[in-house]
Amino acid sequence: MRKTTRKSWAVAAGVAGIALLATACSSGNGGGSSSETKTANPDEKVTLKIQTFNEFGYKDLYTEYMKLHPNVTIVDDKADKSDTARANVETAISTGTVTEDIVAADVDWMPELIDHSDFFADLGSIGASRWPDWKAKQATDSSGKLIGAGTDSGPEAICYRKDLFQKAGLPTDRDKVAALLGSWDEYFATGEQFMNSPAGKAGAAWFDSIGALSQGMINQLEAPFEDPSSGKITVLDANSPAKAVYDQLTSDKVLKQSAHLGQWTDPWTKAFTNDTKGAWATQLCPPWMTQIIAGNAPDQKNWDVAPVLPGGASNWGGSFLLVPKDGKHVQAATDLANWLTDPAQQAKVFVQYGNFPSAVAATTDATVTAKTDTYFGGAPTGKIFSDRFAAVAHQPFRGAHYFPINDALGKAYTRVDVDKTDNAANSWQKFETDVKNLS
Amino acid sequence: MATTSSPSVPDTVTDDQGGRQRRRVGFSQKLGRLDVKLSPYLYISPFFILFAIVGLFPLLYTAWVALHQWSLLDGEGGWVGLENFKHVLTQQYFWTGLRNTISIFLLSSVPQIIIALIIAAILDANLRARTFWRMGVLVPYVVAPVAVALIFRQLFGDPTGWVNEVLSWVNLGPVRWGSAVLPSHIAIATMVNFRWTGYNTLIFLAAMQAIPRDLYEAAIIDGASRVRQFFSVTIPMVRPTMIFVIITSTIGGLQIFDEPRLYSQTGDGGADRQWMTVTMYIQELGWRNQNFGRAAAVAWLLFIVILIIGLINFAFTRRISSERTKAPKRKKVRA
Repeated sequence: MRKTTRKSWAVAAGVAGIALLATACSSGNGGGSSSETKTANPDEKVTLKIQTFNEFGYKDLYTEYMKLHPNVTIVDDKADKSDTARANVETAISTGTVTEDIVAADVDWMPELIDHSDFFADLGSIGASRWPDWKAKQATDSSGKLIGAGTDSGPEAICYRKDLFQKAGLPTDRDKVAALLGSWDEYFATGEQFMNSPAGKAGAAWFDSIGALSQGMINQLEAPFEDPSSGKITVLDANSPAKAVYDQLTSDKVLKQSAHLGQWTDPWTKAFTNDTKGAWATQLCPPWMTQIIAGNAPDQKNWDVAPVLPGGASNWGGSFLLVPKDGKHVQAATDLANWLTDPAQQAKVFVQYGNFPSAVAATTDATVTAKTDTYFGGAPTGKIFSDRFAAVAHQPFRGAHYFPINDALGKAYTRVDVDKTDNAANSWQKFETDVKNLS
Repeated sequence: MATTSSPSVPDTVTDDQGGRQRRRVGFSQKLGRLDVKLSPYLYISPFFILFAIVGLFPLLYTAWVALHQWSLLDGEGGWVGLENFKHVLTQQYFWTGLRNTISIFLLSSVPQIIIALIIAAILDANLRARTFWRMGVLVPYVVAPVAVALIFRQLFGDPTGWVNEVLSWVNLGPVRWGSAVLPSHIAIATMVNFRWTGYNTLIFLAAMQAIPRDLYEAAIIDGASRVRQFFSVTIPMVRPTMIFVIITSTIGGLQIFDEPRLYSQTGDGGADRQWMTVTMYIQELGWRNQNFGRAAAVAWLLFIVILIIGLINFAFTRRISSERTKAPKRKKVRA
């Protein structure tokens, strides 16, 4: 008896070992077998794993797609936040393993993925003309290969508090506010006026933090951090346009208008419920920010949206769907990405969840432009953001170091504005060290 | 097969019993000796095999990575020797990280062990509903670290958290928990203490329960007060346990990551790296800057730091344990 059990254990161990080896080999050969399944018959049962983050608003669409394509099963692998998704994708690239058939990526870390565009399938079959040039460009590598299908976008407007504007003796009508804030100089001049008004004296600020404004101003530059042709880091050069933005934002005049609350921190989130003291009057507002404001202060009924961005239309944020080239069902995954980013679906997501589309046809869709938002005083947010979207002409060049440089710049602003641990010059020096450490 | 054929041998060779026996004994003895010598190693081998795979190999591989230019996405990029170490050591950030780590470690471990000792001594006394109190101290340990971090982030909110609110009642200005160096360390250390004090208390309590009661009786007869008993009987008797607690909390304290990372929304240790620990620096180098070579170099430097502090601990241990052997001697004389 004992002998047989021992023997069977040995057999079991041997089998397990062989199985381990076999799986190890098969995962290594994943790339080779994909070409066979690519041409397999379209009714074959496939399971597609898709990794998104935050809220893409795809739950109902998955169900709809599976009904349209009974052979397809979609597995929703939602990461808790964008950082986790980024880490997952980059681990996949660095180890050459494919676990997801579709991965979502934020525009901020697209440059790093474009640097490894070999890892992803060419989505050129979807057609880059679905998106405006600037959006398609964010997902196109240097050889012209489109690796990402654009999902949402973030055309910026200005959200403002009507009650605080009224208290300060400023106009409260959307278009009049827009006329007041055409350029950054006008924006800061109005801010100065606001700070000297009863509202400002009662403890209200003009904006939340200079770091938040920087997001808007940096996105208006052609090439904020790196040289588009060589990819060399230029942000520390003498004539760096980002430094000019930095100097303007850290000037005493502008700092005085800040509420000194770092974006996304707990105090910032809580401060949305403040009435006057500790509140701020204006906020850079891509469509997704309207959801955040409404979520942070559900009882505040004075927010409104003005169809303007000082310094010209620009975009903040937005995501893409990418298909790893060595996945098991590249064709089926491409079809799903194509369908999910189709204008009709993008419009549905906007109406239900508020994620603003990036496909040109969707932004002019009647269901999109007709949408109004009761939280923002019944503002025609669909129409406003559609116009803001149409006005975006270009987006800044983002090289492989965009993400860490932008992160370090954000910290530089926080040191001056929120933490007040450094003055502007010191903080810039620390930023210089950070950037030099990247190479 | 071999076992079925061997019994047939004695049947044919019946005349030479002695030789057969000798041969048999020789073989089984050999086996037995092998069994005695080898099997202990076989029994403990699973741990060491596992350790070699998940402990030793990563350690050596990290050293290998540290000597190369190594990018997160592109992999190995050529041999650079000690360049990564040189770069990291000449950088201020590594030292900032080390300062923060040691500061948070001291602010958490020292009060933690003192408080745990005191609570354990109280719990060791004859209390009503003893089990209830003993379970009570372990409750914070059961709470998930993320939940603890969320709660403490609210408490230490800057400038409008509860702690600042309470401080304002006694006219103390708002403390900048979220941007000043020392206050942020205190806040994080409080988080650590909240979680681990109860755990250490129970370990101390177990040690205290093992102290022979007659020692206390003798002390009482000698007229020792409660406090005197605590310092002269309890503390000397739990010394070995204290050494264990100090060593484990040193290792844990120097690798501190969860609490400082969860202390702010962004998890970057502060805009000016006010509470960025060494482990957080490793993560930043490796995953944000995508420079695995430098991250590996810092990981090895941290390993060396822990080793050094471990050796200091060891020296202490030896001193304390030699003191311990002296202590009972003295007692004998006294008795």
